[in-house]
Amino acid sequence: MAPVFIILCALGLGLVGWFTARAKARTLFTGRGSMHSLPSYHGWNVALWIILPALVIWSIWQFISPGLIEAEALASPAAAALPDAGMLRSAILSEAQKLADDPDAIVFNPAAKEMVPAVSAAVSKYNWIGAGLTLLFAFVGGAYAFSRVKAAYPARSLVERTVMTALFIASLIAILTTFGIIASLIFETGVFFSYVSPIDFLFGTHWAPDPFAPVTDNIGDKYGAIPLFWGTIFIGAIIAMIVAIPLGLMSAIYLTQYASAELRKVMKPVLEILAGIPTVVYGYFAALTVAPQVRDFALYVGMDNPSTESALAAGLVMGIMIIPFVSSMADDSISAVPSAMRDGSLAMGATKSETIKKVLIPAALPGIAAGIMLAVSRAIGETMIVYMAAGAAANLSANPLDSMTTVTFQIANLLKSDGAFDHPATLAAFALGLVLFIVTLLLNIIALRIVNRFREAYE
Amino acid sequence: MSNSVSIWQTEAMTGRVKKRYNAERRFKALGMAAIIISALFLVYLLGTMLAEGLGGLDWSFIVNSDATTPDDAGIWGALKGSFFTMIVTLSLAFPLGVLAAIYLEEFAARNRWIGWIEVSINNLAAVPSIIFGLLGLAVFIQTMHLPRSSALVAGMTLALMTLPVIVIAGRNAIAAVPPSIRDAALAVGASKVQTVFHHVLPLALPGILTGTIIGMSRALGETAPLLLIGMQAFVATPPDGIRDSATVLPMQVFLWSDEIDKGFVQTTSAAILVLLVFLVTMNGLAIYLRNRFETRW
Repeated sequence: MAPVFIILCALGLGLVGWFTARAKARTLFTGRGSMHSLPSYHGWNVALWIILPALVIWSIWQFISPGLIEAEALASPAAAALPDAGMLRSAILSEAQKLADDPDAIVFNPAAKEMVPAVSAAVSKYNWIGAGLTLLFAFVGGAYAFSRVKAAYPARSLVERTVMTALFIASLIAILTTFGIIASLIFETGVFFSYVSPIDFLFGTHWAPDPFAPVTDNIGDKYGAIPLFWGTIFIGAIIAMIVAIPLGLMSAIYLTQYASAELRKVMKPVLEILAGIPTVVYGYFAALTVAPQVRDFALYVGMDNPSTESALAAGLVMGIMIIPFVSSMADDSISAVPSAMRDGSLAMGATKSETIKKVLIPAALPGIAAGIMLAVSRAIGETMIVYMAAGAAANLSANPLDSMTTVTFQIANLLKSDGAFDHPATLAAFALGLVLFIVTLLLNIIALRIVNRFREAYE
Repeated sequence: MSNSVSIWQTEAMTGRVKKRYNAERRFKALGMAAIIISALFLVYLLGTMLAEGLGGLDWSFIVNSDATTPDDAGIWGALKGSFFTMIVTLSLAFPLGVLAAIYLEEFAARNRWIGWIEVSINNLAAVPSIIFGLLGLAVFIQTMHLPRSSALVAGMTLALMTLPVIVIAGRNAIAAVPPSIRDAALAVGASKVQTVFHHVLPLALPGILTGTIIGMSRALGETAPLLLIGMQAFVATPPDGIRDSATVLPMQVFLWSDEIDKGFVQTTSAAILVLLVFLVTMNGLAIYLRNRFETRW
């Protein structure tokens, strides 16, 4: 019996419980004020008493049954030929389980085939026991609640308390996610720093991790992340911003100050579409059309043998991607400047552009600066464009036509290569992730602070 | 009096005014140019994809799965993978997001704990997506031993990423429902929970749905976190369930873009067109919902 089927059974029972309890509660109704709760609340109460115990028992069973199945399979005569406890035995057992699920599955260990009958017998036995226990608890819970369906029974308060608990638990997920991110990054980074000292990592200039190299004492020489930090800043915070800031700011100014209502109505969605295009599409576009043109340009200016992957191609396309962020933040902060300031300037005889340059932009500057910080944090966390267009070579160079690599590129690259999880090369990805997380977090917190203070200033 | 020339007519002054008007025109032209450059880039991008990919869009491209030759390659497997992933994401992120939004907006006391929850939701919305991939790898695969490169893990990872978007949209939609609605329900004897679920939530639902669709369309186009949970594997058989090895549409684009065979340029561009059609449809639906059902109080 498939585990999902049991859950469906429990839900079906809950539905039956809902209808019967509501029907019973309806018979108790003797007139206005004769009951504490509406009949449907009695229905909900019984349904919850059926479904919640079943779910709890079912999840507990999912945790303990693999151990029981393994013990049962090992006790069978077929298991006598298996090697002693260890990696190989657990690999054989898991392959046998795969075969038991799906007879066509591909397995590498011939011993697994021998184990299939024993394993599938154990699996079906414990699945039946689990199903029985789950449904038993559903029945017991339902029967208990059903016996409590009385006129004075406060079904509504109980149901509402459960609802409130569910709401509270749902709101904890966000904080759990944050905690999970921080905990897993810090934990793996700690393990990484037991191989490579933080000083070597943060200030070293040579980056050449090899996930299959043996771990030696001087491994720290190969984990100097400065070239990655430089590549990230050069692509995300310099080249991309040189493109995005003028274009984003000027389009925001034009749309808010000059454009007719019709043009605004057309152009704002166009900018929003730019923000909604998946980054993998930008990355492909950068690799397909922009990078070859940048390469031709590099040949033209006399570089010999330029790479098809360059910081410039990735940065240019990333800049275009960032335009909508800069422009919408600039739009918000320019609109937040009180119109009295603008009207005052115009009334003194300043032209529109003078008003914008001398009054609106200085007044909106904190908001614009915050928008740029958010855009930078977005750009340095962007993966696909640099992954497809910037390259893997960790060059410490100021030439935008060189191939360069970034923090996000290296995270993806190190984890893609199927190395052992406890190798420093894999763990380095988590250390890079921690650096990236801290930097983007700081940028965001500072930007939000600025925005809030700026908003207060004009209210 | 009549022969004295006004200061505005002096040559120096007309020159100055002319200069200022020229500066004004230049500035306006710069703004126009910025808009045109952005729009041209979009046209260039879409035009390139259409020119490269339109020829590859036929029936066999839709019903085939990944293959080693561009002529046999299709997107059915990736479409199915994306579908399963989105189902997992939606069924986790939507209920949790709506419930969390209700709690934070309607019931939560203003204390330090709730402050922490709010801060972490706002920060999660700005965390780079690849960090969620690291979380998925460390928690779902290394700790919970869920199947690598499955739609289940991908959906759970993307759900964590989409959750803050839905919570923020949900809170805005709930806050936009005027207090008079709540007061009216409470005044005729509804409990607080009844007020929220029978009156506030239905009125806020269009706004919540709009936010959900926008969050889902972002999740549909996401690639980076899925790279880390093993979805870059070559999957030639379409997945039959959420635990099977799968790939998703943007990941298929990425995999094909890496192929050396020139023929894959067409398949990649065609897959991008399909992806863009889905995204445009979803965003169009969101805009329609917003215009059709949004009430201005």
